[in-house]
Amino acid sequence: MTQQIVHSRLAGREAAAGETPPDVRFIRVPSIAERKLGPDYTAPMRLDPRVLDKMQTTIRKLESKYGEALSAQVSMLQLLVEPAAKGDTEARGRLYALAHDMRGLAGTFGFPVAGRFANSLCIYLEKCLEEDWRDGSVIRLHIDAIREAVDNPGTDPALTMETLNALERLIAANGARWKDAG
Amino acid sequence: MTAQPTKAGPDFFRRLRVLVVEDSPEMQRLLTALLESMGVGDILIAHDGARGLAAFAAERPDIIITDGAMTPMDGLEMTRRIRASGAWDDANPDVPILMISGHAGRENVTHARDQGVTDYLLKPLSAEMLYEAIVAAVSRPIHFVETPFYRGPSPRRRLDARGTGE
Repeated sequence: MTQQIVHSRLAGREAAAGETPPDVRFIRVPSIAERKLGPDYTAPMRLDPRVLDKMQTTIRKLESKYGEALSAQVSMLQLLVEPAAKGDTEARGRLYALAHDMRGLAGTFGFPVAGRFANSLCIYLEKCLEEDWRDGSVIRLHIDAIREAVDNPGTDPALTMETLNALERLIAANGARWKDAG
Repeated sequence: MTAQPTKAGPDFFRRLRVLVVEDSPEMQRLLTALLESMGVGDILIAHDGARGLAAFAAERPDIIITDGAMTPMDGLEMTRRIRASGAWDDANPDVPILMISGHAGRENVTHARDQGVTDYLLKPLSAEMLYEAIVAAVSRPIHFVETPFYRGPSPRRRLDARGTGE
C-alpha cells in the first residue's frame, strides 16, 4: 500500500507579505489496521464489548488498592502544607505531584468528587504566587475538601457543588492579582 | 458473502506496539493494566517527553499515549518535535499521538492540536474512552499535511476533547 500525495499551495503556514507560501502536501497513509492486517482487514473496525468488560474489570480490581493509597496520599498532603508554606520547594513539588495524580486517577477509581477538588487545587497551584504558598489557606481548604470527599463519599452532591463553586470563586478572585504580577 | 468488519480485539491488539509516556507511576500502572487487558502485545514505558522521544526513534511504536504535563520535557514539546518535518525519516512520523490531560480548556485542546496531537483525552480516564480512542487511531486512514516545517494531522481541523473532565 502506498501513500497518496496531493500537492497544494492553498494551506499551511500563513505567508507574510511578499513571501511565497510554502508547498503543502496532503498525505493519506493507510490505517494501522490496514498496514498490520493487509487484505484481512475489513473496515470499519468493530468494537468488542468483551474487551471493554475486561478493561472495566481491570479498573475494578485496581479500585480497592487505590482507595487505600488515596487515603494515605491525602494524609501526606496534610503533612506537606506546613513545610510548603515555609518555603520548602521539595514539599511544594511533592504536594503538586500528589494533587496532579489525584486529578488524574481519583475519578477513574470511583472518587470523582475528590478528583474534582484535586483538579481545582492543581489549577490554583499552577497559578499561585509565593505569598499564596506562604498563606496556605486556600490550599488547606482544598485538602480538607478532598479529605471529606474520600472519608464520606456519600455527602450530599448539592453541598459538594457548593464547596467546589466556593473554591472556584476564591481562585477566580485571585485572577486579577496574579495577572498584575505577570 | 460480505466480509464481517474486523473486530477490535486481542487478535489485532497483540500486533500493536504502544509507547506510554507518563511520569506518574500510578498512571503508568493503570495504563499498562488497561492495555494488557486489551491484549496489546508490546507496551513500552517512558518517564518523560525526552525519554519518550528517544523511545519513539528507537522502537518505532504504532501509537503513543502521552501525559501532557511532565518535566523536564512535556508531552506537547515531545509531540512538536515528532511532528517536525523531515526529522524522523527512520522512525514512524505518522504515529498517532493520544494525549491524556487534566486541562479541559478549549485553548489547551487547540494548542495540543497545533503541536500535532491526534486525539485529546480528558482526565479522569475511563476504559471506554481509552478503548474508543485507540480503535479510532488504528482503524482510520491517517490524513496528514506536510510543510517544510511540519508533518502531522492538519492544525486546521476541529479537535474536540474526549470526556467531560469531571
